[in-house]
Amino acid sequence: MLTGIIILLLAIAAILLMLLFAGIGIYNSIVSLRNKADNAWHQIDVQLRKRYDLIPNLVETVKGYATHEKETLQKVINARRLGIDAKTVTDQAKAENMITGTLKSLFAVSERYPTLKADQQFSKLMEQLNGIESNIAYARQFYNDMIMKFNTRIQTFPGNMFAGMFKFEKKDYFEIEKPTAREPVKVKF
Amino acid sequence: MYENIASNKRKTGFLIIGFLIFICAIGYAVGLYLDYRYGANGGYSIVLMIFALIIAVAVSFWSYYGSDKLVLKLTRARQLQRDQNPKVYYMVEGLSIAAGLPMPKVYIIEDNGMNAFATGRNPSNGIIVLTSGLIDNLSDSELKGVIAHELSHIKNYDILLGTIIVALVGMIAIISNIILRGFIFGGGRRKSARSSGGGILSIIFLILGLILIIISPIIATIIKLAISRSREYLADSNSALITRYPAGLANALRKISARGKIKAANNAMAHLFIANPFGIKQKNFLSNLFNTHPPAEERIRRLENMALGVGVK
Repeated sequence: MLTGIIILLLAIAAILLMLLFAGIGIYNSIVSLRNKADNAWHQIDVQLRKRYDLIPNLVETVKGYATHEKETLQKVINARRLGIDAKTVTDQAKAENMITGTLKSLFAVSERYPTLKADQQFSKLMEQLNGIESNIAYARQFYNDMIMKFNTRIQTFPGNMFAGMFKFEKKDYFEIEKPTAREPVKVKF
Repeated sequence: MYENIASNKRKTGFLIIGFLIFICAIGYAVGLYLDYRYGANGGYSIVLMIFALIIAVAVSFWSYYGSDKLVLKLTRARQLQRDQNPKVYYMVEGLSIAAGLPMPKVYIIEDNGMNAFATGRNPSNGIIVLTSGLIDNLSDSELKGVIAHELSHIKNYDILLGTIIVALVGMIAIISNIILRGFIFGGGRRKSARSSGGGILSIIFLILGLILIIISPIIATIIKLAISRSREYLADSNSALITRYPAGLANALRKISARGKIKAANNAMAHLFIANPFGIKQKNFLSNLFNTHPPAEERIRRLENMALGVGVK
């Protein structure tokens, strides 16, 4: 009789111990995914900073040739300021979309100045900027992949139990605006 | 993915242990022979075995840290700086960000053949090698597919096993060669000096010759076992995941499989390349034996299935 109770207690202890270890494993995997997501964010940040550093040079170069484009240049500078000051992922994404947009209009403007286009410094900056922009796109892809994994883990069972207990919060995607996808394209002849 | 990394590390461990045992056995065998020849009772065999073990351990360390440099030297690759080809450099940088890897070094082989491989011992020391023919003849999306394929090999630690095989297996081939020659010449001198021992020696020579004949297919089999074909499929699908454009790699493979032949390739490292570096025409016994790549048609078919018709030519 006594041995029976001891065996029962041991079995319960073993099951509890197994549950504890499983819990530790799940908790650790969530933390590891969160760290991966943070690291992925850091990758985006590195590329964004490179672009912030490059923009003043670009603005200076364009200023030398395109004297009548103060407004366009000011928009680029403002968007950069907004990006540097952004605190949340959503704000950051918004600011970056703005920077990309203003830079596009800057390039459209530069088309009107053949001497600017011929400038060596300008073409080098353009090349760097193109490289950085594609890197930002790749970093965003990596970040969003990681966020998806993290969010899925904390929203599905059994991760959702831990998310509630230890306050793991869903993270935001870094989204780009696709104006072409939202509004119909107008064709004029 | 993580199972693949673990499996590659495990296989590398086995390979190095196998190498140590092989070299020790050779040291012991040579020692036994010397004992027999000079009549020292067990003196040479033990000393030579310890000596061989020390050398083998040193070689293993060297192959872990230096075999990537050996491969680069053998293929006469030179490093690419950002200024020399910004487009390719940015491509590698961007794709390694997308793969979540540190930026690998980029090397170029001056060759019109279209091929590529990756080497190094871990992702922090990763190296991507592209031929100039590849860069010149592929479109951007195709080149991205190939680079992403090589990045997947880096991420999966395929490069560690693949590169160490080049050094260790090459070493075994060289050692067997030296021994074979040593016995031929040694045996020859011996015969003229004392004809009485010729009978035993010729038997030893015969056995060693047989062993060596057996050894080269075994080496080939080791390579085949270690470099399973499934890793190519895995790298292909990872590439598609990184670029989000499977048709790029599919179209690249179509071009590469027709013109993959490059000059600076040999059997010991054929398994590293994205496509068979001996070209498709050459189909002799040896190149089939060392054929570690799944057929290009099958790889293209799988990639095009993933593409769902987007960009398929």
